[in-house]
Amino acid sequence: MTKEENVKKPKAQRGPIDLTFLILVLLLLTIGLVMLFSASYANAYYIMGDSFHYISRQLVFAVVGVAAMIAVSYFDYHILHHFAYLLMGVSIVLLIVVFAMPTINDAHRWIFIGPINFQPSEIAKFAVVVLFSHWISIHYKKMDTFQYGVLPFCIVLGILAVLLILEPHLSGTILIVGLGAVMMVVGGTKLTWLVGGGLAGVIGGPLLVLALGKWDRAMGRIEHWLNPFLDPRGDGFQTLQSLYAIGSGGLMGAGIGNSRQKYLFLPEPQNDFIFAIVCEELGFIGAALIIILFALLIWRGYVIALRAKDRFGTLIAVGLTTQIGLQTILNIAVVTNTIPNTGIGLPFFSYGGTSLLMLLGQMGVILAISRQSNLEKE
Amino acid sequence: MAVKTTTNKMKKRINFVLACMILVGFVGLIFKLYIIQIVEGEKYQKMAINQQMRSTSIRANRGTIYDANMKPLAKSATVHNVVISPNDIKDETERELIAQGLSEILDVDYEMVLERSRKTGSYYERIKTKVEQDVADQVTQFALDHDITAIYLEEDTKRYYPYGSLASTVLGFTGSENQGAYGLESYYNKVLSGTDGMVVSAKNAWGTDMPFRYQQIYDAQDGNSLVLTIDETIQHYLEKHLETAVAEHEVHNRAVGIVMNVNTGEILAMATKPDFDPNEPLVLGDPQVAQAVEELNTEGNEEEYKKALSDAQFAQWRNKAISDPYEPGSVFKLITAAAALETHTVDPYNEVFNCPGYYIVAGRRIGCWKHAGHGDLNFAGAIKGSCNPVFIQVGQRLGADNFYNYLDLFGFTSPTGIDLPGEADAYLHSLETLQDKNMASLSSASFGQTFKVTPIQLITAVNATINGGKLMQPYVVSQVLDPNGNVVSSTQPTVKRQVISEDISKLEATLAEQVVMATDGSGRKANVPGYRIGGKTGTSEKIDAKEDGVVTKYTLSFYGFAPADDPEIGILVALDEPEDGSAYGSTIAAPVVGSIFADILPYLGFEPEYTEQELAVADVKAPVLVGLKIHDAQSNLTQEGLKSRVIGSGSTVVRQIPGVYEPIPKGGTVILYTDEDTEPTTAVVPDVVGLSGMQANQTILNAGFNIRIAGESIENTASQAVSQEPAAGTEAEIGTVVTVTFTIPDVEG
Repeated sequence: MTKEENVKKPKAQRGPIDLTFLILVLLLLTIGLVMLFSASYANAYYIMGDSFHYISRQLVFAVVGVAAMIAVSYFDYHILHHFAYLLMGVSIVLLIVVFAMPTINDAHRWIFIGPINFQPSEIAKFAVVVLFSHWISIHYKKMDTFQYGVLPFCIVLGILAVLLILEPHLSGTILIVGLGAVMMVVGGTKLTWLVGGGLAGVIGGPLLVLALGKWDRAMGRIEHWLNPFLDPRGDGFQTLQSLYAIGSGGLMGAGIGNSRQKYLFLPEPQNDFIFAIVCEELGFIGAALIIILFALLIWRGYVIALRAKDRFGTLIAVGLTTQIGLQTILNIAVVTNTIPNTGIGLPFFSYGGTSLLMLLGQMGVILAISRQSNLEKE
Repeated sequence: MAVKTTTNKMKKRINFVLACMILVGFVGLIFKLYIIQIVEGEKYQKMAINQQMRSTSIRANRGTIYDANMKPLAKSATVHNVVISPNDIKDETERELIAQGLSEILDVDYEMVLERSRKTGSYYERIKTKVEQDVADQVTQFALDHDITAIYLEEDTKRYYPYGSLASTVLGFTGSENQGAYGLESYYNKVLSGTDGMVVSAKNAWGTDMPFRYQQIYDAQDGNSLVLTIDETIQHYLEKHLETAVAEHEVHNRAVGIVMNVNTGEILAMATKPDFDPNEPLVLGDPQVAQAVEELNTEGNEEEYKKALSDAQFAQWRNKAISDPYEPGSVFKLITAAAALETHTVDPYNEVFNCPGYYIVAGRRIGCWKHAGHGDLNFAGAIKGSCNPVFIQVGQRLGADNFYNYLDLFGFTSPTGIDLPGEADAYLHSLETLQDKNMASLSSASFGQTFKVTPIQLITAVNATINGGKLMQPYVVSQVLDPNGNVVSSTQPTVKRQVISEDISKLEATLAEQVVMATDGSGRKANVPGYRIGGKTGTSEKIDAKEDGVVTKYTLSFYGFAPADDPEIGILVALDEPEDGSAYGSTIAAPVVGSIFADILPYLGFEPEYTEQELAVADVKAPVLVGLKIHDAQSNLTQEGLKSRVIGSGSTVVRQIPGVYEPIPKGGTVILYTDEDTEPTTAVVPDVVGLSGMQANQTILNAGFNIRIAGESIENTASQAVSQEPAAGTEAEIGTVVTVTFTIPDVEG
C-alpha cells in the first residue's frame, strides 16, 4: 500500500476524546501555573520589577495553548505524514541557524525572532516523533532489517546529536536519543541491535562529546554533581540551593507560597528548578502526588497509544507521551541531584511560553488520536 | 480496513517501556525524594535555615557596656560588608569598572577584585568586611551612577571602644563575627549578643526587605546592655597611676590594681598595665614588647615570630587581677592578724614580743625585713612595722587548723566567682603540710610567703578584715538593661559570710590605720592629708623565679582603705618585678595607692578634714623634687602637707613651681613638669581685693595659683582682702604663690 492511499483514507470517525487524559493534562497545567506563580514572584519582583512578570506571560500562553490543544484534537492526525520530512528539514536548518544567535550561559540554544524566542530542539523532538512514526508505520515489516530498522534512524539521530552537542545542549541530546531509541524499541527494531546500539552509545557518546570539544564542560558538571559542596558559592550553588529547598520541605512542606529558598537563594526558581520549590512548599507528600499525576498521564498516553486505530497513531502517541515522561524524569533527576545538572524544563511547570504552547499542541495531537481510538474493547 | 493496526509485538513493547519508565523512573525519583526530604531532610533544612538566617536578617545589635555613670565603654555600630555577584556582571567593561571603583573606594587590590569578579557562576564574593557607613554610601553611589547591579551590601555590626585601652583587660573584645572573645564581652556574650535574625522570611538572599507579608518565626532580639560597677573616672585615675608606676620603676611583668567598695563588693576599677586597645586587640600595646617581637620578623623565622606574636597577644589580654596568683607577702598579715585577734590568740597591746631581726624555724633562720630588728614591740606595733618574727610566733600559736580554717573562711580555697572569665585558683599549702611538726610552711605562710593567691581573692579577703567582718561577693556588672533601657536584672551586694566579728574588724581597722597614719608606720607614704587612710604594705619574694637559690624578683604591693574610721574604698596595687630589686612595697607601692586616693576620694565626695596640725597656716619651703620619680616627689610633698599637679607624660620631675626652697603655704599645690620641652603654663592673676577670705581663696585656686594669706585671720568671716602680690592682671606661671593681705574692716555702730 502506498503512502498516498494511506493519507487518503476516508474521513476518520470522530469519537469522543479521552476525558481521563484531558483531565490529567488540565490538572497538571493548573497545578503547574499555581506553582509557577508561587516560585517566580520573588524573582520577578526583584529582577523584573513586577511580581506578575512570569505568571502573566505564562497564563496567556496557557490559555492560547489550551485553545490550540482543543482545536488540534479535531484534526485528523494522519496529515502529519505530509509533514514528516518537512519538520525534520526545518529542525535541522534551525539547529544550524541557532549558531548565529547570541549565547546564553555560553550556549547557543535559543532562536530569537522579535519578541518570540524558542529552542529549535523542541521542534526537533516533535520532528523525530513524526518522522520515526512515519517510517515505522510504512516499513513495519522490514523493521528487523538493518537497512530499514536501524540505519535511517541512526543517521537522523547522529546528525541531531552532533548539532545539539555543538550548541552545547547535552540534555537535549540525551532526550532526543532516548526518545528515538524508545520509538525504535516500540517500532520493532531487533533487540540485539538495540542492545548493541545501547552499548555503542555508552562508549560512543562520551567519545562524541570529547571529539566535539565539550569534554571539560561535561566533566565539570559531573564533578559538581558528585560533590556539590566542592564550590558551594559557585558551580555547586544551584544544586545545593535546590537540595536545601527540597530538604526543607520535609513530609508536609512549608505550604503554598511559603518557600524561603525562592527569595533569591535558588537561582531562576521559575525555570528548570521549579520542582525544588514545589518540594519545599508541598513536601514529600505533595511532590510524590505530582510525580504520580505525571505517571498517570504517561500511563494514559500509552493506553491511548495501545487503543489507537493504526500503527501511525500508536507510534505518534507513544512518541509524544515518552517525550513528556523522559523530560519529567530527567528534570526531577537533575533537581534532586540524581544526575548531573543538564538544563531541562519540567513539562507544564517550568516557565516558557512557546514550549508550553508546543506541549499543549502535542497533547492536542494525542487527544486527536484518542478520538479515533479502536473501540473494539468497549 | 485495519491492515495497519497495532500488532501484539508492538503492544508488548509499549507495555515494557511503560513498565520501565514507571518502575525505574518514577518510583526511583519518589525514593530519591524520600531520601532527601525525610531521611536527610533535617540536615538540608538546617543548612537552609543557616543561610537564610545569616543573610536574611540584620544581625541582632550587640548591647552596650556602660560604666557606673552610663558612659559607654563598648558600643556597636552598623557597618557593611561589600559583596559582588560575579554572575550578574554584564561584560568585561563592567568587570573592570567594578574592580577600578571598588579598589579606589575600599582601598583594596585592583587585581584581587578583578580575579574574584571573574568567578562567573558565583553569586557571592565578599570584597571587604566591616566597612563604615560613609564608605558604604560611596559604594552605593558608585553602583547607582554606573547602573551596576552586581554590587550589594550586607549589614553587619562593629564594636567600638570609645575610651581606647581603658579597662581593656576587664572589657575584653569581640572577634570578627562579633562574638565575645575575652573579658566581659566573652563572659556576658549571650546577654550582649541577643538572638540573631530568626525573621527568616523578612529578608531575601540580597539582604533587603521583602515587600510581602510573610510568616514571621522569631523577631531578632537585640542584645541587652550591661551597666558596670566600674566608674570611668576612677578607672582612669587607677590606670594613670599604674602607668606612671610601670614607667618609673620599669615593672617587667605588668602592674595590677583593683579599687573596690569594701561594703558592697562592687569593683570600682580594675586594671592591668601595660594592656591593649580592644579596638585593635591584635596590636601589641606595650611598645617594648612590640619591638622585641618585631625583631623576630625576619626571613626564615616565620614560625618563631608567629609564636612570639601570639604569646605576646595572649599575655596582654590576660587580666592579672583575676588570672595570675602571686605571693601576697605582708599584705596577708592582715588575714593572719584578723584570725589571731578573732580567736584571741594574741593581745594586741599588752603582750610584748621581741624581734632581734630574725626567727629560727626548724633550724632555719627567717629574717625580718628590718635586719637590725624591731626590738621590743607589741602586736599592734608588729602590724605597723610589718614584723615577720612576731607574725611567725603568732601564726604558730594560732596553729595549722585555725590558720587553714581562716584561709577557707576568707575565701582563698576557691575562686571568688566574680563575673569575669578566666579566674584562677590559689596555690595553697594543704592542711597536712601546714600541720607538719616543724611548722616551716605554717611559719612562712603566716607572713604571706610560699603560697599564691589572686589579687581579687586577696582584696576581697582583706576588705573583710576591716569592713565589719563580712566577706563580700565581688562583682563587675550591676545591672542588665534591655534594648529599651529597662532594667532586666540588677545585682545586689551579697554577703558570703561573716568571717570575724564587727568589733574585731573595728580593732583591725584601727591597727591598720596606724600603718599609714603613724609617723613610723611602714605605709606612711600612702598618707593623704585631710583623709584617714589605713593599709598594709607587701614585699613578696617570687619563689618560682629564684636564680641559683636566691630570690631576685619581687612583687611589691600595697593595700589601702579609706576612710579608716568608716571604711568604704579599698585599693590593692601590685607591681610585678620592678627593676629595683631592693625596693619595698612601702617605698614604691604605697605612694601609688596614696596618689590614687588623693584623686578619687575628692571625686567620690569625701570632704577632706584637716587636722589642726595640717591646718596650721605656716609656710614651708618647697622641697627638692627635680630629678625624682613622680611618685617619690608626690610622696615627699604629701609628707610636707603639699599637693601636686603633674604636667607632661614623663616619669621624672624636670622642673617645679614654686622652685626649690621657695616658700609655699601648707596645703598648696606644687606644679611638677616632667618633659623638658613643655612650655610653662601661665595664667592671669585675678583681682581679689575686696573679697572675703573664702572668696579670695577660691578665686586664686581656681586660676591655678597658690594663695598665701597675710594680715588678719581669715577665720573671721568679716575679713576682707586689701592688697595682693603679684598685682591683678599680671601674667604668671601657674603654681606661683599669690600673697593676699586681709584686714577686718571697722564695724560701724
